[in-house]
Parts: sequence; C-alpha cells; structure tokens
Amino acid sequence: MIDRRLINNFDWSIFLIMMTLSVISVFTIYSATRPLLDDVQKIYYMKQFYWILLSLFAFIVLISIDYKWYARYAYLIYAVGIILLIAVVIAGKKGMGAQRWLHLGFFSFQPSEFFKIFFILALSRYFSGMRQGESIGFRQLFKMLLIFFIFPAVLILRQPDLGTMLILMFLFISMTLTAGLQKKVVITIVIAGMIAVPLAGNYVWKGLKGYQKHRIIAFIDPQADPQGIGYHITQSKITVGSGGFFGKGYMKGTQGPYRFLPENHTDFIFSIYAEERGFMGSLLLFFLYFFVIWRGFDTAKKARDREGCYMALGVTYMVAFYFLINVGMTLGMVPVVGVPLPLMSYGGTALLSNFIALSIIENVSMRRYAPYY
Amino acid sequence: MASRKKDNLDSRKLWDEDPNRIPLQKSRKRALVVNTIVLFGFAVIFLRLVDLMVIDHKMLSSRAERQYSRQEKLQSHRGVIWDRKMREMAASVDSSSLYAVPSKISDTRNLARKLAPVIKTTSKQLNMTLVNKKDKDFIWLARKMNVSTVEEVSSVRDGLGLGRKELGFISESSRYYPKRQTAAHVIGFSNIDNKGIAGIELYYNEYLQGRQEKVSYNTDAKGNRLSDELKEGIPGHNIILTIDEGIQYIVERELSDAMQQWNASAAIAVMMNPWTGEILAMANRPTYDPNLANNSRAQDRRNRALTDLYEPGSTLKAMLAASALEEKLYDPSDKFDVSQGYIEVGGKRIRDIHKFDILTFTEVFKRSSNVGSVQIGLKLGAKDYHSYLKKFGFGSKTGIDFPGEVSGIFRDLKRWSGTSLAALSIGQEIGVTPLQILRAYSAIANGGALVKPYLVSDIISADGQVIKSVRPEIERQVISRETARETTEILKTVVEEGGTAMRADIHGNLVAGKTGTAQIFDSKTGQYSKDKFVSSFVGFVPADDPLLALIVVVYEPDGRGYGGVVAAPVFRKIVENTFTYLDVPMERDENQILLVSQ
Repeated sequence: MIDRRLINNFDWSIFLIMMTLSVISVFTIYSATRPLLDDVQKIYYMKQFYWILLSLFAFIVLISIDYKWYARYAYLIYAVGIILLIAVVIAGKKGMGAQRWLHLGFFSFQPSEFFKIFFILALSRYFSGMRQGESIGFRQLFKMLLIFFIFPAVLILRQPDLGTMLILMFLFISMTLTAGLQKKVVITIVIAGMIAVPLAGNYVWKGLKGYQKHRIIAFIDPQADPQGIGYHITQSKITVGSGGFFGKGYMKGTQGPYRFLPENHTDFIFSIYAEERGFMGSLLLFFLYFFVIWRGFDTAKKARDREGCYMALGVTYMVAFYFLINVGMTLGMVPVVGVPLPLMSYGGTALLSNFIALSIIENVSMRRYAPYY
Repeated sequence: MASRKKDNLDSRKLWDEDPNRIPLQKSRKRALVVNTIVLFGFAVIFLRLVDLMVIDHKMLSSRAERQYSRQEKLQSHRGVIWDRKMREMAASVDSSSLYAVPSKISDTRNLARKLAPVIKTTSKQLNMTLVNKKDKDFIWLARKMNVSTVEEVSSVRDGLGLGRKELGFISESSRYYPKRQTAAHVIGFSNIDNKGIAGIELYYNEYLQGRQEKVSYNTDAKGNRLSDELKEGIPGHNIILTIDEGIQYIVERELSDAMQQWNASAAIAVMMNPWTGEILAMANRPTYDPNLANNSRAQDRRNRALTDLYEPGSTLKAMLAASALEEKLYDPSDKFDVSQGYIEVGGKRIRDIHKFDILTFTEVFKRSSNVGSVQIGLKLGAKDYHSYLKKFGFGSKTGIDFPGEVSGIFRDLKRWSGTSLAALSIGQEIGVTPLQILRAYSAIANGGALVKPYLVSDIISADGQVIKSVRPEIERQVISRETARETTEILKTVVEEGGTAMRADIHGNLVAGKTGTAQIFDSKTGQYSKDKFVSSFVGFVPADDPLLALIVVVYEPDGRGYGGVVAAPVFRKIVENTFTYLDVPMERDENQILLVSQ
C-alpha cells in the first residue's frame, strides 16, 4: 500500500538531523545535571530519552497520514486547542510560578506547546483558501487578528507564557506577510506603529508582570541586577565564552553542575553545550539548525499545494524563531523570555511538539509534486 | 492511505485541475522577505558566537574560574626537632578541630547551650556566631582540641541527633614539646598556624614547615567545597640539634638551684664543644613552657645567652693575658709590684679588692689583680689590645644559627677615651654576650682557633634524606698554639689553692677558667650599681684536652656576688654531673686532688 514516491521523497536529512540533535540533547542534559560530590545522577536524561522514543513513534504515525487531512480538520483541531487553553486557565496545574500544565491523571502536558502547531495548521488552511492574486485587506486582517491571534494570545498570556505568545505573534506576522497584505494595509500599519508604539509603550510596560519588567531591565543592563535575572544573562555569557575555540570537553564544563548557571538543562542548554564543545561544536549545532531550516524552506517551495507550502513554511519559521530567540537569549542579545531550544532543551511536551512540527515538514516533503510520477 | 481514492482532494487531480491551489509565485517572493530576516538572524547569532567564544574567551574564561576556584594553603606536617641523641624535643601531633555547617543547623539555641561549656565559650556568643553565619557552609568552632574535649563534643553531637553534615572534626597538625621547659629557649615555639615564632622553630622555619602548598579547589555557586577531603602539604624536614638533652637537663636543674640559692634575677649557662662550636647545652632562667607559650611573658622567653649584654669583668682578663703572651711582652714568671693596692689612670683610681705585694704574671690572673692587669694592659697598648679583642670576636656576632643574636658593644679604637684601655684591661667598658665570652675561651681551649658556634647539626627530610649537614667552621686563628697552652696553664691556677675559683675545681679533672664579677651599669642613674652584680665563671675541662667549655652567668645574686662564690660552684656541679652522665674517666689520682669545697 505504501506509495514508492513517499519513500523516494522522504527527506532523510531532516530526520537524521532531528535524531542527532535529540541524542546530543540527552548527552548534554546528562552532563549539565551531573552530580556534585556524593549526590546521585538525576534522571532527567533518561526521561528525555523515553520522550524521544515516544516522540519518534508519534513522528512515524503522523507522517503516514497525508497532511491534507490535517488541513481539512485544521479548524476543528484549532478549536480543540483553544478549549485546552481555556481548560488550563480553569483547571491548570501550577508549576514554577505559572499555570501551564494540564493534568490528565497519568501524565501532564502543556497545551500551549501543541497549540502552536494547531495555530500553524489553521492559518495555513485559511491562507490556502485565498483566491489567486488576492491580498489581505483591513477587514480580513481584523477578523484574522481576532480569531487567530488575540483570542489565543490572551489565554496564553494569562498562564503566563510570554515566550509562546511571542512565538505566536512572530508566526502570525510572518505568515500573514507571506500570504500577502494589501499595500495600503502595510503602509497604514507601519505609520500607525511609528505613532502608537511610543504612546502605547507606557501602557504595555504597566501591563507587564513584575518579573517580565525585570527581565527587560536586566537585558538592557545586566549589571543593574547582578544577582537576579541579570545574573542569569551574565552567567550564560560566561558559560558560553569560557568554552573557547575547542571547548572544555564533554563532562568537563563547570558552570552547569556547579550551579552557577540556573536552568542549565532547560532553557540554557545551549550555554552548557557551548562550554563543553567550544566554538567548533557550537558551529556544528548552528549548521544543523540552519540545515533544517533550509530544508524547511525548500520543502515549502516544492510543496504539492498551498496547504503544504504554508504548513511547511509555518513550521520552519517556528523552529527558526525558537532557535534565534533561545540562542539569542543565552548569548545575551535577546531578553530572557523562557523559550526552549528545539530538540535540545529538557522537556517532554516540547520535544514531542517539535517532533510533530518536523513531521509536518517531512509529511509535505514526502508528498511533494514529482514530475516523473 | 486507504481513503485516497475516495478523497476529492486527491493530489494529482488538484494539481492539474485547480490552478488556484498551486503555490503562488507572488507569495514566494514575499516569503523571501521573511526568509531573509531569518537568515539575517542566523548571521547575527554567528557573529555573536565569534565575539563571545573567540574574542572574549579569555576574559570570560577567567571570570568563570574566579567564580568557582578557591585557593587554600595546605597544612603540612611540621618537622621533628631531635637532640643530638635523637630524643624528641619538638613534635607534631594530629589533633582535631571542630567545624560547623551553620546553614544546616536549625536549632542553634539548643546546640549553643549544650556545646558552649564544652568548647569553653558562652552559649550566647556561640548562638550569635551560628545565627550570623547562617548562610555559611563552614565555620571553625574550636581549633586543635584535646582528646577529652573531642569526646565530649561527640557525645553532645550524638545527644542532639546531629551528624557530620552539621558538626564535624578535621584533623590538624599541632605542635607539642614533650620536654616542656627543657631547652625551651633554644627550641622556641610555633603558632597555631604551624609557623615558627621563636628560637630554632623560627630560624629553621623554612625547613621545618615543609611546603604549605597553595592548592586551588572548586566550589559551587553556593560556595560549597567540591572536593572530599583536606589533603596535606609536603611534610617539613626534621632537625637534629647539637644539644644533648641529658646535659641540658643537668644545666637547667643547676641553674634553677642557683636561682633559688642566690635569689638571682636571671641565670644563663652555655656549654659548647670548644673544638667544633657545637652547643651542647644552652639554658636560661627565668624560663617558660613552650606548650603554653601564649601564657608566658616575653622576658621569660628571651634567650639571654645571645641577646643580653653584660660587662664581663675579670673574665676578659684571660684575653689580656693571651694577647700579652702572644706579643711576647712577658714571661709567665715576670714579676709585678702591686703593693700600692691601686693604680691611677687618667685621674681615675683602679683598686684591687685584696692587697698583694709582688705577683708574678701568672699570679696577676690567678688572683685577678686589677692593678696588675692594668699594668699589663698599658704595656700592651690600646691598638694591639683592641685588635686582639676584635680577633677574639668581640663586637661582632658569633654567627650562631639562632634569631636575634646581638653583636655587643665594643667601641672603635678612635672612640676610646684616656681611661678606656685601663677599663678594658679589667673587663669594663665593653658589653658582651655570654656566648661571645664562651667562644673566646674556647679559642684558648682549642689552641687558638675561633670557632663558629652552632645549634643544628643535621637537617633530614621526612623520607630520611640528608638535606644539610653542618660541618664545624673555624673563623680564624687568634693566638698561637703555644700562647693558648701558656694561657691555659695560667687559667688552671685560678681553681687551685689560692685562686679565685677554687669552688670550680672538678673532682678528678683539671679546670681552666676565670671568674668575673661586674657591677651592673644602671642606665637610670648613669652609674655602676653598688649592690647589683653579674657573677660569672667561664672555663673548660679537662684543661689540657678539653671536652667542653662552659659559661655560667648569674644576674643580681644576693650578697657581694663574687664570681668565685656564686657562679663557680654552679660550674663545678654542672661539669661533675655532665662527666658522670658522659662517663668521663678521672684524669688524676684521688690523692693528688686538691679538693675544694664550701
């Protein structure tokens, strides 16, 4: 039953890079959480490994279903996502100061991690429904903003999960731009933005939570808060920088296990990796991500239809934004917003969500138009 | 895939039939804009990686190291000090120090109440310390405790249900002086950080201390130490003294007796091998216990044999005799008329204590006649006498391996007054240390060679290798062998019948020596004290082939304090006991002995 074309068009590079990064992740988590003195090794790395197996299973199942089915049920899936987000607000579990988790008896997960993918599916469905040559006007944009952005963004900000909200925002902007906005809309937004941002800035600032303000201050001037979040940024830079050209060597990093760098196995895993593997190792990681993103763009370009094109593009943008924001954060270039590094950071839901995201690119790639067929 | 045929969205059909569904050329161009922004982001990340990991690497790396690296001086085991027969004079023993981990202790008040009396502090103070250092993971509570205290602390700890995580012991090396007062001034002591503070402990600190190597260890962000145990540094070298503990003990005992008998303010004795300069004993009173050095007074810890000056008085006359004989000015049998009882020099009368008529050269010294001595001094002349005294080592340090030695007061020839020559002829106007006098006498004893005294003969590393072995050093030949022999003959008469120090005569062995009595110069009044004396006796035994040279100095004895009365008997008792201790055979027949006793 399996179409030969599906095998021929299977993009092995995406799959292999995905697996490589996952394996590097397990090793890096192992080193980052290795014990001091007589403590025992924490089992994070094993948990991550089990999640990889589960995610791999999900990946295989998902690529065997033609993505047109995802497109067909995109709005339904999106609705389920919204319901889950509402459920989190109502019955969510608190963890580390935020209400992001949904507890389902035998396991917990963060709906917002999956919601990003539902969001991409829904937007792709919407854009592919546009007529040839049609551009988005004001009315359409407002409608879209309300349904696809403001509603979920408010729910996610309530958790609060600034990182995911920002990713949704970037995705919305980039995908809308790609789908095509009318010239007058673009011009109006640019002008309005130039006027509104200084005026609204004050209200936005007031609307931010204390720790969010803190992060922005610390980003602008890490020395202003050397023990709090500024400490985080400073330590991350020290960690990355002390790796040097060839790195300190695997299991020889100090910043993570000595607990100078907090959250070393989650959001700041790149710093730990860079410390141990050095500039050369970081470049390798850099090019692996770069390659995935290039494959994503290429897949979008060669997609069979507009659904596939937008889906692949959306997922690729998501991975790219995650990478840029996370690494930018660890290098002290972007405020600390709590965004994980795809495939590398410890965290089961995020890992599964990333495998699902990449399965979509693979899905589109496998079913691309082949002239010889 | 089963549903493919039914599906009206079949890909091939769609592709061919519905141009609306073909990806738009226009949207590809727009995508390019976003893609370029993403690429730009990657480029910025790349440059930032170069910036942090290549350009700023050194700076950030050193910041990382400063955060987790701490330096610590490792305690090393301090070397042993042995006497010449390898008896332990100073040793290092392991003792326990108590530390606490305040961050892990919750009920500080209860702990403080139970622990404070054991470690000799108040519970209030201990509680305050624990509360104030609440965030610390290590503080010392008591250093170098004794065994019983350790046991008490352990039982308090067990009683409170605390463990090693809250209160613990670390073994530290501490210094112990098993012989207590014996040779205290020579050995000195070291402080709680195992650093030499006085005596041999100070002078040879570099050798004894070992290498208190600095090691760096890592800590985590909270300052917790990340290595398991405190390692030890490289152990110090061991030292073998020239001191003989047996002799030292005899000397100290006799000094104590003399202090008591004469109610003296201080007493000093130094015994040396006159041939080599090895110090066999060096003792001072008052004294102290180096184990409790902190509780002692500084003046009790002073090694007066090297640091205190006194006027040698008549003991210096031996140098005068040696100089005059070396210059061949006199024969031992030459006669002197001292019947006047005094001699006037520069308008100053110098008197004899006893009245004599005619004395031979030898008798001038045997009877310690001041008048005769001045006559000899005047004949010898200032220049020659000054030069001989200089050669005998006065006015300069002996160079003994001990901290704080002074060179004494011996004026330059240019600064001598009209009475200086006469004064120096009877041992005044000069400040000497007992060790300087002893060295000068040793030169007479050994045939004219000025030796360099020393206290340490060997330095041996912890693994038994010889680091340093001291060989006797002779600084110069002061007088000829013949002169030395003739001077010895004269000094032998001092302890004979009619000499000033008959009390120094040693049962069975001939002594060559000289008494000395000097008034103490009172710096307050600028005059010689009427009733304060320094009484001394210096000599060597057996006179013709000496085994040892010894000086005994007693400060401010009751009564007139003549050297012959106070210091000479101490000398005799020390030498007799020492010879018994050393098993030295008798030199003369019993019936030939001129036994003089009190």
